[in-house]
Amino acid sequence: MSAESDMEYSDNDGDEYDYYGEVDDCDMDSVDQSKTDPEYFLFSCLRVEEVEKLLNESIELLSNSLQITPSLAKVILHAYEWNAQEIINKYKENPNEVLIFSRVKSCVPSTPGNSNGSHCAVCANTTLLQKFSALACGHYFCNDCWAMHFEVQIMQGVSNTIQCMAPECEVRAPEDFVLSHVTKPSVRDRYQQFMFKDHVKSHPQLRFCPGPNCQWLFRAWVREGARRVECQGCELLTCFSCGAPHHAPTDCITIRLWLTKCADDSETANYISANTKDCPKCQICIEKNGGCNHMQCGSCRHDFCWVCLGDWKCHGSEYYECSRYKEDPNLASDSQHAQAREALKKYLHYYERWENHARSLKLEEQTLACLKSRINQKVMAGEGTWIDWQYLWDSAKLLKRCRYTLQYTYPFAYYMDNGPRKELFEYQQAQLEAEIENLSWKVERAETTDRGDLENQMDIAEKRRTTLLKDFLDININNASSSKV
Amino acid sequence: MAALPRRIIKETQRLMQEPVPGISAVPSESNARYFHVIVTGPEDSPFEGGLFKLELFLPEDYPMSAPKVRFITKIYHPNIDRLGRICLDILKDKWSPALQIRTVLLSIQALLSAPNPDDPLANDVAELWKVNESEAIRNAKDWTRRYAMDN
Repeated sequence: MSAESDMEYSDNDGDEYDYYGEVDDCDMDSVDQSKTDPEYFLFSCLRVEEVEKLLNESIELLSNSLQITPSLAKVILHAYEWNAQEIINKYKENPNEVLIFSRVKSCVPSTPGNSNGSHCAVCANTTLLQKFSALACGHYFCNDCWAMHFEVQIMQGVSNTIQCMAPECEVRAPEDFVLSHVTKPSVRDRYQQFMFKDHVKSHPQLRFCPGPNCQWLFRAWVREGARRVECQGCELLTCFSCGAPHHAPTDCITIRLWLTKCADDSETANYISANTKDCPKCQICIEKNGGCNHMQCGSCRHDFCWVCLGDWKCHGSEYYECSRYKEDPNLASDSQHAQAREALKKYLHYYERWENHARSLKLEEQTLACLKSRINQKVMAGEGTWIDWQYLWDSAKLLKRCRYTLQYTYPFAYYMDNGPRKELFEYQQAQLEAEIENLSWKVERAETTDRGDLENQMDIAEKRRTTLLKDFLDININNASSSKV
Repeated sequence: MAALPRRIIKETQRLMQEPVPGISAVPSESNARYFHVIVTGPEDSPFEGGLFKLELFLPEDYPMSAPKVRFITKIYHPNIDRLGRICLDILKDKWSPALQIRTVLLSIQALLSAPNPDDPLANDVAELWKVNESEAIRNAKDWTRRYAMDN
């Protein structure tokens, strides 16, 4: 990172600017987000050109202070994960060590004579001496062979780490050397694309947005714990630390375990948590086509919970238990087989809920789209202005955010050890779930319900969400102080 | 088909004129990039006395890419699998365009003398090689007798 950009972000007031750049306008209050939002994370969304500029600043800084070519600076920065200051300090102490570590120089004294005279060891041809070249290691080969070597390597996707052709020589070919040999424009383009990707991957402050065909990049200064970044382009929520979908309150290692497990077991689980359920009262088959888990049977008007199929009356605001998994108390005496069955049952319990909320989230995506057109219609019909209906839009977005967090509480709970902390967690989870279902119900019927009531519900749901995250999201180091990496 | 690169012609000539002891490599009549290889089992190894057939193919971008080599004769070895594929670094990431057919075959011969069960390709063989070396060596000798000594 360049010294200049360091200055920009260690300044606390600078945060404000970034904050407005990244967060949607649905937030109700403009108080300091870093204090109220447990998931608050300082980052920026950058375009490819901006990242190129950023990288070039580091490259320029290093090549100026060490008096080396920009190409060499790139090789060294790549090896030292773009920590220019560290390189400069180490270079002052022992330049040789830096060059050897980044494989600009060979660690063994070079043994030329591999290709004697004007005879190339690779193609076995004899050409003019002027048509030979070598890297810092002094292994001379003819230019045609270098060109072929680079082309083959580039077509295999290698860029920053292309090595010398001599056996066991690990010296890397800098960009200018490669480009002076490769003439085909398509191969040169490919090389430069791969170089850029490789640079971003080796840079601890950068990450590509994983969205399909998305051209945006994230920049942030902390790379551990569940860190929410939202793409300006495709709106995808990603964890900056691990690149998986954002997963608070679950941590990076756990979500990886969970996602792998789900991928392995999905056939069974998919089958079991199929898209339809029978009404617990009249047994009619019901397909869920809305986001809310408060179901009302179209046939017998029975109100029940989609998740546990229990009577909805038991799901009052204080008594919502269906998110809690009850272990069978007679487990200890059971055989191994029964334990395995119990393990599967436990997994399916969490998986079904995880899947269910994922599906609800998708359906709420539709609700959101629906709502947009409904608001439009109303505005066109002269029923208030867009600002008047803003609260509806806000509520749907808030609902989406809450349900997202709720979905990711299930892997967290699955891997949690039994004990008071898990009980507390499942209690809070149940509270959150109950409020979300309330909210979902109200959002779907928003135009006919009281606005004050809806806004109240929004507030409650969001408070439940932040409380849960505050208590269980394990990363709350001060962002401002950790920005100086 | 494109003309054969000078490098391949020179390598072939040298393989015929100064063959490596214990190794014969003859290009196929129909394809100069395809070699019939026979490696004799090294002395003091469980493969001693065996004649192992291999095939070696030089891909289009040889020597920028490594030659493709495979055992045709069945062999009981922790770094060679049932299909005859060989786990050898210079055939993969450690390939250098300055290496040759000759060096590759010498490395394969050395691999027969010194199996490396810590970097296995055939897992069951490697496992036995680690837990019960004498039994593994007995198996290797047995396979050598059965598959590499007829003819």
